[in-house]
Amino acid sequence: MGLDLYRTAAQIDAAVASADIGAGRDRRVDAVLTALRRADPVELNARVEAAQGLLAFLPAEAVEPPGTVFDAPPPPVDFRVLAVDGSHIDVNRHLPLRCALINIGGCRLTYGAAAAAELFSHPRLRTSDEDMYLQDPSSPSQRQAVEGGLMGLVRTVEEALALADAVEAGDDAGLPTLALMDGTLVLWELGGESPPRGRYPDYVRAQLLGEGLLAALDRIRNVAHRPEQTAVASYVSLPNSAEVVNLLRLALCDLNPVGHCQTHCRALAPGLRRCDAAHGLTDREIFERTLAPGQRSAVFASRSPVARDAYGPHRVHFFYVNVGEEIARVEVPEWVAEDSGLLSLTHALVVDNARRGAGYPVALQEAHEQAVVTGADREAFRNMIERALEGRGLPVYTSQKQRSKRRPWV
Amino acid sequence: MATTPHPDARIGEVVEAASTAFTAECYTLYGAPALGALVRVGDPAVYGVVYSVTTAALDPGRRVAARGATEPDEASVYRNNPQIARLLATHLQALVVGYNGGGTVVQRLPAAPPHIHAFVHCCDDADLRAFTETLGYLHLLSTAAVPAIDEVIAANVRLAAEARVDADGFRRRAARALAEELASDVARLNAILRSIA
Repeated sequence: MGLDLYRTAAQIDAAVASADIGAGRDRRVDAVLTALRRADPVELNARVEAAQGLLAFLPAEAVEPPGTVFDAPPPPVDFRVLAVDGSHIDVNRHLPLRCALINIGGCRLTYGAAAAAELFSHPRLRTSDEDMYLQDPSSPSQRQAVEGGLMGLVRTVEEALALADAVEAGDDAGLPTLALMDGTLVLWELGGESPPRGRYPDYVRAQLLGEGLLAALDRIRNVAHRPEQTAVASYVSLPNSAEVVNLLRLALCDLNPVGHCQTHCRALAPGLRRCDAAHGLTDREIFERTLAPGQRSAVFASRSPVARDAYGPHRVHFFYVNVGEEIARVEVPEWVAEDSGLLSLTHALVVDNARRGAGYPVALQEAHEQAVVTGADREAFRNMIERALEGRGLPVYTSQKQRSKRRPWV
Repeated sequence: MATTPHPDARIGEVVEAASTAFTAECYTLYGAPALGALVRVGDPAVYGVVYSVTTAALDPGRRVAARGATEPDEASVYRNNPQIARLLATHLQALVVGYNGGGTVVQRLPAAPPHIHAFVHCCDDADLRAFTETLGYLHLLSTAAVPAIDEVIAANVRLAAEARVDADGFRRRAARALAEELASDVARLNAILRSIA
């Protein structure tokens, strides 16, 4: 017997009935919208700076006036969109071989007179110690096993490096190019240099950021400013972040000194604070009300500790965009955000590619299809490992638990 | 769609094979030979007659969606969605009608089907004339249980006739051979003969 769907459905009904999605929420969205329209970026940023360390939430930094909206510029006649996505099979102790697999998929779509498409995928089995551990170069006894959350981060880095490869390999086309990744550019799990620290040691940060994501972004930046520009962006569908909403809390707060949450509101439960019109709202809900199809929001910068301390010229900036079917979040490094040409190219091509993909960028769709590792693929992977071991006369074992799951019996 | 033929007329390779029929994926979208065409597979050659051509999504889990509502013509659908051509594939299905046995054409089923990944070549007129010098293969075709086989037979005979100077002579010869095969089914025979003429 699997999940009892009847009993689950009853609980879902009850949960939906009590969810905060009615008129009360609409009024709170209105209050935050009013704050957005009146927001003065200089004043808000100054309030954040003044309250640094005492805020109970993570606000964005306003780069453009928060309430402004921008129409999508028309895309160039001839252009290119690259995208990369990844999927992995994590280390599984029930397998007879200690290994993992990262599959990087991607595509290079050329639009215009020389329309063309290339799709690719690069599966790579990881079994060696260098693959399975991140090693502290200064202390050989210190190492972190690449699995679980760390495997996810390593995969993101591999995706970025593959995107840089794809950009460099296609650099001869002489076309304006957008290189797209899926998800966020902020490896927030790595934490900042000052508290709050991440959950991984410094050598892990150095390898994943300095020699990983940021090195990949450096390579893309090196070709970005040719006459035919190349922008890089990361695309978040149905974003749940609330950094802009959190910034607007500082416009809603009327306590003095403003934003000293730890002093004024420490004893108050969420929902009772002055700024709690914003409580539980996402940036997406706010921009759903302000952005017409194709339009983007103002640009903001991330104040997440890792992006603030470690990203240098690639500090993550972001905007929201109405791609017709939803509000998406587009993250770009600072050098893209500060170059009006690259920013316009990103905006235009994200909107255009999402239109071609009926609400989601077609390049990311195809990259995903190239990268995806299905349940059947996972089973085939396990069988291939077992067959390879048997072929060499090596013992093939699995846990009794795994055996019992694979052959359920009565 | 631009389709560049392979220099040695290689059009694809076998992806599914059985004793009586095989399926091949074409290298180019819409790059299959005509219905009824003779193809040659592997070495020593196995011969097949194309009885069905399909074009569909490569991944059976992904349905093709209509994309052209706002496009002026079919070509612009492909131009503005360049990935489509990579996600579709044209397959041909062919009935096995003979093989090369020691340098001569044998119009019977081979001992073993072609290999998976065996290259499929389009037969040129000379190959086609040589293979259709004898017509024993029409028995294999006329007894095959595939849809619209009579149309396939007629198309094959027309192609073989057009490859000859004496096209009418070949049509008459083929008609006699078919009359022997289909003596008990005059309605079917007449339908094929009308289609050949």
